[in-house]
Amino acid sequence: MEVKEILKNLSNLDGPSGYEFPVIKYIKDVAEKIAPVKTLIDNHGNLIVRKKGDGRKIALFAHTDEIAFVITKKEFGNYFRIHTFGGVDPKVVISQRLRIHTKEGISYGIVGMLEPHLQNEEIRQKNITFDDLFIDVLDKSDSVQIGDLATFDSEAFDLNERYIAGKALDNRASCATLLYTLELLNQFIVNADIYFVFSVREEDGVSGAVNAAYKINPDLAIVLDVTHGDILRPSYPKIETGKGPVLDIGPMVNYEYFDKIKNLAEKLSVNYQIEPNGDHSHTDTDRIQITREGIPTLLISIPLRYMHTPYEVVNIRDMEETARLLSFFLARGGE
Amino acid sequence: MFLKELSDIPGVSGFEGKVREFIKEKIKDKVDYIETDKLGNLIALKKGKVNKKLMITAHMDEVGFIVSNIEEDGKISIIPLGTIDPRVVLGKKVVIGEKQILGVIGSKPVHLMEGYEKVSFENIKVDIGATKKQEAESKVKIGDFVSFAPNAMVHEEWISGKALDDRGGCSILMDLILSGLDLYYDTFFAFVIQEETGLRGSGSCAFKINPDFAIVVETTTSGDNPEFPPDRRSSELGKGPVITPAHRGYVNDERLFNFAVKVAKENNIPYQIKRRTVGGTDAARIAITTGTPSLVISIPSRYIHSPMSVVNISDYQNTLKLLSLILIKEVL
Repeated sequence: MEVKEILKNLSNLDGPSGYEFPVIKYIKDVAEKIAPVKTLIDNHGNLIVRKKGDGRKIALFAHTDEIAFVITKKEFGNYFRIHTFGGVDPKVVISQRLRIHTKEGISYGIVGMLEPHLQNEEIRQKNITFDDLFIDVLDKSDSVQIGDLATFDSEAFDLNERYIAGKALDNRASCATLLYTLELLNQFIVNADIYFVFSVREEDGVSGAVNAAYKINPDLAIVLDVTHGDILRPSYPKIETGKGPVLDIGPMVNYEYFDKIKNLAEKLSVNYQIEPNGDHSHTDTDRIQITREGIPTLLISIPLRYMHTPYEVVNIRDMEETARLLSFFLARGGE
Repeated sequence: MFLKELSDIPGVSGFEGKVREFIKEKIKDKVDYIETDKLGNLIALKKGKVNKKLMITAHMDEVGFIVSNIEEDGKISIIPLGTIDPRVVLGKKVVIGEKQILGVIGSKPVHLMEGYEKVSFENIKVDIGATKKQEAESKVKIGDFVSFAPNAMVHEEWISGKALDDRGGCSILMDLILSGLDLYYDTFFAFVIQEETGLRGSGSCAFKINPDFAIVVETTTSGDNPEFPPDRRSSELGKGPVITPAHRGYVNDERLFNFAVKVAKENNIPYQIKRRTVGGTDAARIAITTGTPSLVISIPSRYIHSPMSVVNISDYQNTLKLLSLILIKEVL
């Protein structure tokens, strides 16, 4: 499979938390094509792809949902108000076209901003919040209802040779990486019983993966998510795109497995970076760890620029190297 | 109507060449004379019935940026061409220079912000996927234009896109040329450069043509949104062409203003008088250059000078209709 193309297709699909089915369906079709697997969509909406084996039970997790907006109020004419879930800077929503998912299909709307000619000093200096934003619905505004969800109308594209820009690369980059890992496993004789979980509802409160983890009850859980790349955070090492997978360390991670995968990366000459976490990683890992009697976990992140904006940016090489490392790690039964 | 195609062409101030080529190609066989002048303005003449001259203008340029520096980390610094609110540019796709290199205007993830962080052009960088200065320099150079990426869309009643100001005016002029009107005056259609950087194109056209009067066709502000008090709006969408009584740098010629209103009234064309004096148009430059009496008629628009503006198709049609009627009449 072509990782780039899969990622672009995944980015262009819309799947706000609770409405991930188009993404889940696409992943299911790709997974069934590239490997001998059994697939199941559970009650919650998670897709579980099982590559059956006799050995240790290992589950890998990537959330499929994306940040989105909700229509909250009707104003005069074709204007509505919006809010968000998932944590979005209101400034990146200004002057964007959104796809509103109505009961009768897609309506396009523009989040407008008063022309600079008409702004006075007060408006110019204003700190814009979601309360100040409005959406100008340009198609079938009669069919738009309070509660309809909306997503960024951005189309993924190649940024230079190695980078892809697009929406929802958080966390479709991990989804594509897991699919590529699944494909790479075809080259190995694998003993482990492997579950690839494409989970729902991370951005609205981390409820998807934890339910799947409870059901599978794996011996090891490996969570794939994205992290901030190429931006200096005080007191943190600078994580860079193009420098390989990020191995997370902190209280949500099992240190024995962390050492194992780190040593394996060195053996395979996979460049890796280490990211420390405080109390929380703000990923599904935090909750999976305390499921049932406790599950040993690993968190691997793909560095990403401009998280939760209409054009997030990832480096394809980071995804490929993450998949390479994972495929060897899985083939060795998590050793 | 060529508004969708025109909006998608990159043509920031000083880099109008592609817009000019598009327009020239469509109109060159329908005019009596056509030239590109020393500054890059496109001037086309259609002869009329009397030996007097009307110049009608629209500007080809749009707001955008120019590359001001290439940073050590491969990011591109930009400075605006025309007035742009820095709050509207984050997270946008852009096209840079003749090689049409794609980029993204980056923004800090909300997770890493401490409270509200203000935006200014100094801390806005364009990401072209380069990680080193040398790599970026092989694709982009200082002085290249930076245009918002093509994004026009035609809806049932509306058009949205990056450069409706003033490709709306350009499209109207093209429609006027192609509709085969029985023009009263020798009519010079001037598609001018660099309106947004200080009205730099229209003066030389007025000097060269020395018209008896001029009409400036613009795409103007409205402010008719739920966040802005109705009494401070300058126009409203869906209410027809906007006739300007006065704006920064020019008070419309009284005779021309009254004539336009009369034609609209007599023909039941909806129209509105612009309610604010903010913003200027090429009429101000024409007045200074040749003292030519001018009239400003505009398509009302939302969110101009941003990557995504909106016009109402009925306003476009009514603006075209009003101008079609003015151009076949004796005005002065």
